Amino acid sequence: MLFMGIETSCDETAAAVVADGREVLSSVIAAQLDLLQKYGGVVPEVAARRHTELIGYVIKEALEKAGKSLDDIDAIAVTARQGLIGCLLVGVAAAKSLSYARNLPLIGIHHIEGHIFASILSNPEITMPHICLTVSGGHTMLLKVQDYCRYELLGTTLDDAAGEAFDKIAKYLGMGFPGGPAIDCLAGEGSPKAFRFPRPLLRAGNLDFSFSGLKTAIINTFKEQVARRENLPLSDIAASFQEAVVEVLVNKTVRAALDSGIDVISVTGGVAANSRLREALREEAQRKGLQVYFPRLSLCTDNGAMIAAAGYARYSRGEKANINLKVLPNAPLEEPCG
Amino acid sequence: MKVLGIDTSGYANAIGIVDDGTVIVDFIQDARTDSLEKIVANIDDALKSVRLNLDDIDGIGVGLGPGSWTGIRIGVTVGKILAFSTGKPVAGVPTLDALAYQVRNRETPLLAVISMGAGDNVYAACYRSEKDTVLRTGDYYVGSAGGMADLIEERTVIVGEEAEKYLRILHGKADSITEAVPDVPRGAAVAALAARRLKNEDSDDALALSPLYLKESTARAYQDQYRGRGG
Repeated sequence: MLFMGIETSCDETAAAVVADGREVLSSVIAAQLDLLQKYGGVVPEVAARRHTELIGYVIKEALEKAGKSLDDIDAIAVTARQGLIGCLLVGVAAAKSLSYARNLPLIGIHHIEGHIFASILSNPEITMPHICLTVSGGHTMLLKVQDYCRYELLGTTLDDAAGEAFDKIAKYLGMGFPGGPAIDCLAGEGSPKAFRFPRPLLRAGNLDFSFSGLKTAIINTFKEQVARRENLPLSDIAASFQEAVVEVLVNKTVRAALDSGIDVISVTGGVAANSRLREALREEAQRKGLQVYFPRLSLCTDNGAMIAAAGYARYSRGEKANINLKVLPNAPLEEPCG
Repeated sequence: MKVLGIDTSGYANAIGIVDDGTVIVDFIQDARTDSLEKIVANIDDALKSVRLNLDDIDGIGVGLGPGSWTGIRIGVTVGKILAFSTGKPVAGVPTLDALAYQVRNRETPLLAVISMGAGDNVYAACYRSEKDTVLRTGDYYVGSAGGMADLIEERTVIVGEEAEKYLRILHGKADSITEAVPDVPRGAAVAALAARRLKNEDSDDALALSPLYLKESTARAYQDQYRGRGG
């Protein structure tokens, strides 16, 4: 069964064709990097305008790269929940139009559920239940994935998302946007032990996160260094910051697994591409006898393939949306999108 | 030739169908909170009301704006993807053209006005009637309602949802305005103007179809201003 997945919840215009929720035949992602760099972040109106310009081309290219025509598509899945409302509306309007014109079932997907499926799509051997860390520019969340489409929230961020902290620090240090890859790269040249930055909530008894204070600590250190007119050790700051974030993420994710007696971990979202996080979590998981899975790099950031895969799972459970599918900026993860 | 026209530039979904110059549907769904989520269902309702389905339609007309930025994005997205998925031709129609067309066949000039939302700012343009259609006679105007006084040189008919309010605002020049016609952009007018283009095999590239915002997004405007200061 061929699903087309459409995703426009933030700043990537994406569409993909996925067979049986497993095999990615195409995944086209038009990132708005030029706009991000120009404005230093996502401006909702600017992003929504770009989605409107690109959506048709992206859908067409997804079909062409898959070697399929619309006649071959069996259903349309679209991100309808969690994101910028003006952006979500564009993808959903496109999906409804396709569904209506071609008489295809329409399935609405929660963006975070899409990320969970990015990992499953990349690693079909992942078993249920497993612990999923979703960590991106918009989210930092620990979930117990009981089964397909059944989730329990274990912890979430109280302020900034981890990826947001990367972006804001990179912006502050003048490294452009998005910040994750820039910091990852620069950190490789610095010492993670040069500065001892706080590990927020590391010793707290729960599985929640907080990255706002860490961000302030880094900005203060940066200012001190500037005041002392020392040679600014940017790579050391980047490495030490990244180490602080990674240590907290690894510690809490492993703890979540051990506390729930689950030995499989999956990490998804843009920050799942971070090389230090991959390395540190693999090491710690191995030490504790846990399995850890990451999505392919191409499925870490927002994409249509993960939405198609989640759509297939929902559709297989008999769920489908009607043509008035509502768009919501925030919604519970488990509830079907009607 | 049956043409479907849609316009979502205001707080309503306007859908119309014309069949060889005859209006067979002219439907306005006023649902201020969630109208954009219902646009495709509204199109289906409009077609069903005259026992048609999408396959019976020969072309699609889309109101490009100006108007609500979110609204025109959704109308344009629906128009382009319906055209892409059916292979039917699509023609974009400036929403001010549609509004002026609704009061065509008059001897006086026409001033079509769309409110910008909060405050008294408007999008507007002047038209004259010609051979059962309208021709725009000047540039699009984006600015205060009072500033429209500069657009009026002779006896003029003003059309728009808040035409009467603008008549009062332009009251110094009110003598020149012979009539205020309160009306919203209609799907049938969009369909009729699109049909005129499609009949001449003049259609738009569906994938490239873009809204007529007439205003930069706030972020862009802010940045340009910043640049202008040499920042």
